[in-house]
Amino acid sequence: MNDVPAEGALARAQRVLHRIEDGVLALLLGAMVVLAPFQIGLRLFFDEGLTWADPLLRVLVLWVGMFGAISASRGDRHINVDVLSRILRGRARAMLGLAVHVFTTTVCLIVAWHSWTFVQTEREYGSVAFLDVPSWTLQLILPFAFSMIAIRYALYAAAEGSVVLGLRQPGTRSQPAGDPR
Amino acid sequence: MMGSLLLLLAALLGAPLFAVIAASALLGFSREEVDLSVVAIEIYRLAEMPVLLAIPLFTFAGYLLGESQAPRRLVRLTNALLGWMSGGLAIVALVACALFTAFTGASGVTIVALGALLYPALREANYPERFSLGLITTSGSLGLLFAPALPLILYGVVAQQMNLDPPVKIDDLFAAGLLPGLLMMVALSLYSVWHVRGQVREKRAFDYREACAAVRDSAWEIPLPLVVLGGIYSGFFALSEAAAVTALYVLIVEVAIRREIPLGKLPEVMRESMVLVGAIMIILGVSLASTNYFIDTEVPTRLFEIIRERVDSKFTFLILLNIFLLILGMMLDIFSALVLVVPIILPIAIGYGIHPVHLGIIFLANMQIGYITPPVGMNLFIASYRFERSVLDVFRATLPFLVILLATVLVITYWPGLSLYLVAD
Repeated sequence: MNDVPAEGALARAQRVLHRIEDGVLALLLGAMVVLAPFQIGLRLFFDEGLTWADPLLRVLVLWVGMFGAISASRGDRHINVDVLSRILRGRARAMLGLAVHVFTTTVCLIVAWHSWTFVQTEREYGSVAFLDVPSWTLQLILPFAFSMIAIRYALYAAAEGSVVLGLRQPGTRSQPAGDPR
Repeated sequence: MMGSLLLLLAALLGAPLFAVIAASALLGFSREEVDLSVVAIEIYRLAEMPVLLAIPLFTFAGYLLGESQAPRRLVRLTNALLGWMSGGLAIVALVACALFTAFTGASGVTIVALGALLYPALREANYPERFSLGLITTSGSLGLLFAPALPLILYGVVAQQMNLDPPVKIDDLFAAGLLPGLLMMVALSLYSVWHVRGQVREKRAFDYREACAAVRDSAWEIPLPLVVLGGIYSGFFALSEAAAVTALYVLIVEVAIRREIPLGKLPEVMRESMVLVGAIMIILGVSLASTNYFIDTEVPTRLFEIIRERVDSKFTFLILLNIFLLILGMMLDIFSALVLVVPIILPIAIGYGIHPVHLGIIFLANMQIGYITPPVGMNLFIASYRFERSVLDVFRATLPFLVILLATVLVITYWPGLSLYLVAD
């Protein structure tokens, strides 16, 4: 669809990756949709609840949100103020795109790096989230998600870069989040 | 200063807002020589707010409804109940869109899901083309003051981060949005009925049989608003619980019972809905960090002092607030505006004696107009794409509606009682 063009094996790898992403996202959301009402049922009918369910649900919110954010970076569908790029065309637009994507990639890499140190610290500290699950394993989503997003935007930057250098024809613009086809 | 200007430029050039906000937090904290992993710690707070569970669950339920035949049934039902009035179809459009938007979180889905049904129906009944276009485009964001619309929840979440005393309760926001939302609907309905008087051919007697059939047709969906609103207002369900029940119920009804969404399509609906959730959550996450920085450096307090020196009456402040919010709504989408601006203006507004719940309603009512104003009004673009008209044409068509909405926004702003009447103390 709106992805960075790739050929052959690379395209196939990308498709598999997208499948896995969609699968994990569906699994996480599915777990949330089942677990949350189950917990209510327990409260209503048996006046009790699973002690680990509420913290798990809260973590699921973060994970679903982060996987959603990774998904939104597929096709550059993050929320933005899209004023100038509507006016620009061709090479100028590609140059602007290059600058913006490099910016996004850099920011995501910095956040990913500092999330990683955050995870390291937590790991040394050894706190437990619920049951026997250590907190740091749940926090891994942050460096992972920001790295994934950084990679996507680095690829967009590369694509725009090749347009700037005249190696490729300008492509079509992607659709933002919440903007249905 | 230099850094902030560069960030503003990046935002205007179209960089994702989450990256711009993250960058501002990183810059701010590094200037204060705070370890930057604090940004990650702040983002991780997304996993410590139970109320956030409502966001993915309601959004998922809304997208499921949008993919099913529920929009068609909703139009049939409102048409059977209200279509007999003169100008009834316009009212049908307003009511159906408002209900649908409340459930889908004002994300532009309404125009796509309902507009495609309502626009041809309006044209068929001889409603003027420009009027129909304007009505549908405007209706696309109507209803975001009604529970359980996402922007209301998000305002509550952001306000709760401010540690106010007493805290802002989301239930209160739901109650507060009711009358102002109705005011907007009544005003738009009156204008519509007046505007099309004598030109449309649709007046017909109330058809009791069709009404019964339409109710039976929507029998599975009719309990939804009752469960959600009744459950929340009566205190039987917490917000996230109402969302959980709604999501599971809609999933079972539309996929298993009605079978309108094939199982194979489910992952796609899940992904589409979570793209919106992800886009909002990541902005919320990074803005927790940037807000923390702003509050640490007492930006709101200093701003308040500066404004206080120049603006002494609450009335003048409200006028400035309206102007500011309208401009903001022209530039930013409602979700980013909420997480970015509310932490800054809420303390200032409280300083002027404005109730935090009332401020929320003022904020959203102003932002709603932003959906239909250039340069970035989302409804304009979706309608322009959907109905194959230029953005300028769509904007011209929405102008009369925009003027009416502006008038209601003024009423909502200067009459706090309208918002606070239903709020329990």
